[in-house]
Amino acid sequence: MQFSAGSLQDRVVTLAITILVLIVVSSIIWTGKFASWENLSLVLLNLSIDAIVAVGMMILLISGSFDLSVGSVVAFAGGFAAYLMYYWGVYVPVAIIAALGASLVIGLVNGLLVAYIGINPLIQTLAMMGIVRGLALMVSGSGIQNLPTHFEAFGQSVFLGLQTPVWYMLIIVGVFSFLVARTVFFRRYYYIGGNEKAAALSGIRVKRMKVYSFILMSGLAGFAGVVLAGRLGAAMPTTGQGMELRVITAVILGGASLLGGQGKIAGALLGTIFMGLVANIMILARISGYWQQIILGVILILAVASDILMKRRGGVTAKQYLTKTTGIKN
Amino acid sequence: MHYRTKYFLIGLLITGVLMGCDPSKGVYTRDRVEGSESQEVEIDPNEEYVMVTTFVNFPMYVNHDQEAFHRWGRKTGVKTTVLGPSEWDVVQQIAFIEQVIPSKPAGLLINGTDPAIAGAINKAVDAGIPTVVYDSDITDSRRHAFLGTDWYEIGRLQGEAMVELIGGKGKVAYIGLIGQANMESGYQGYRDVMEKYPGIEIIGNFDSKGSTEEAARTTADLISANPDISGISGFDGMTGPGIGLAVKEAGKVGQIKVTTVDWEPEHLRLVREGVIQVLIGQKRELFTWYGAQFLYDMVHNTNMLSDDDDEAGITNVPYSVNTGLLKITAENIDLFDAPQ
Repeated sequence: MQFSAGSLQDRVVTLAITILVLIVVSSIIWTGKFASWENLSLVLLNLSIDAIVAVGMMILLISGSFDLSVGSVVAFAGGFAAYLMYYWGVYVPVAIIAALGASLVIGLVNGLLVAYIGINPLIQTLAMMGIVRGLALMVSGSGIQNLPTHFEAFGQSVFLGLQTPVWYMLIIVGVFSFLVARTVFFRRYYYIGGNEKAAALSGIRVKRMKVYSFILMSGLAGFAGVVLAGRLGAAMPTTGQGMELRVITAVILGGASLLGGQGKIAGALLGTIFMGLVANIMILARISGYWQQIILGVILILAVASDILMKRRGGVTAKQYLTKTTGIKN
Repeated sequence: MHYRTKYFLIGLLITGVLMGCDPSKGVYTRDRVEGSESQEVEIDPNEEYVMVTTFVNFPMYVNHDQEAFHRWGRKTGVKTTVLGPSEWDVVQQIAFIEQVIPSKPAGLLINGTDPAIAGAINKAVDAGIPTVVYDSDITDSRRHAFLGTDWYEIGRLQGEAMVELIGGKGKVAYIGLIGQANMESGYQGYRDVMEKYPGIEIIGNFDSKGSTEEAARTTADLISANPDISGISGFDGMTGPGIGLAVKEAGKVGQIKVTTVDWEPEHLRLVREGVIQVLIGQKRELFTWYGAQFLYDMVHNTNMLSDDDDEAGITNVPYSVNTGLLKITAENIDLFDAPQ
């Protein structure tokens, strides 16, 4: 098993310290602008959707898989709920439940095909990304506006100075932090990600657990999509594009490994907060869009490079790493 | 009194009377001129105007919108900044708008990419920041002013041009981004024209995914499946060159008529080569130049309409401006792209 509690702890702590340094330095440079409640609450609001998705992605990565269709599911779920409310007059809670149900079905299909048919997660979820994006375009058309007030309240209400998506994020992070750390069911994913064969031999129903993880991932992405549509008061078929890359970057920064077997939900939150802070600082520093791709690319390389170097220290060769993460053997 | 002094005083009196009779020297006008002079604008080079768009590196935005915006900034002596995601990502654009608000720029110039940005625009307005939307209007927002074009009109003009090119009959198709509100409006304008001609069959609406390669592939497939296709129209900046490439590779230059939007160098070259017959262009420089000027005029109260426009709830710039469209064909291309 590759799980290394010490190294993981280091990465979470390192990230937490980096975030703290970023906050202190930015507060000094942009006095009154960065450290204002207005700015920081907006940073949290704008990273909340990614963070909800990152929770599911962290669990998937712990089990040694990932899902590229999450951005499309976000767009589809919001669009489907909006479609039901706007065109069919369906009640808000029913529309939300239907959108979540449809998202769970997408996850079920992904999970079944990956676990039981043996399709590589990269190929399966890449294909699903296209299929679900097409469905999102079908249900949302050019976008659906003028959604019911109750639905907008679902994503726009403010409680104790924070908009609801931030509260949903905090609740989901809190609940899954507890579940992953304390329950046998979720701890099994560490064993599966660490050594799938050993996990199967020890009696864990690996295939079934994999299906559950994909269902959970799509469910969280669907919930994020519905919350986003509520927050915007509109459903757009183009939402969530590029989200998969952002979320995987954040989760790896937060301590996950593409090899599986390690990661914490708090790390997913910290990784997302780090990405959100970097984006905010780029806005405050008025850094041109030309640089954004470069900076985000460098962050991704640093995250993956640190992952490889840590694995190398743990005795995994580069060849083994590539075989495990891509599924390609030579 | 000495006679010279007498003549001088009489001359002075006559001059004064004549000046008083000059309508351009009226009391009211003189007061306004004096008022303007007393409000001599003191330009703060740190006064910052921020443009927030999406797909910030898109060549058309860089060459037209951003170039004019920065040129306006240099001419006016203020700071201009362009922010936004490098992909077409409206949610990220919203994040940019919301996160730029706490830094209190003098004015915000926002690309109206999607109705969903209305909430973010309203937050900027509520924060007291003069906010102008350009390109497509965000009607649900409380923006102070809008400058742009009517996308329905873009579609209508393309449709009319195509009808004329194919003689009112034949198969046509149109390619652009699917799911984008302004373009869907353009498609509607196009379809409304075509529906008047029973001899015209619309094969379908195809997605370019904002990519020249995708537009070329789609066009090639369309030509293979419909060798008798008469015309193809493009609705986003990347599509025109893609259609042109596929038409050239199929050896159907001139046989398949092509209309498209935008007038980047590659579009103009294809018009010169006879591959594209009609370009419908937006006057994008006007969006951002006058958009920025509107912001400046709001900040500096250039045209006060009352003693206190803010208190009176008056926005002292035009509410909505249609900058119009331009049409480029082989006949007038030299005016836009002089031969080297």
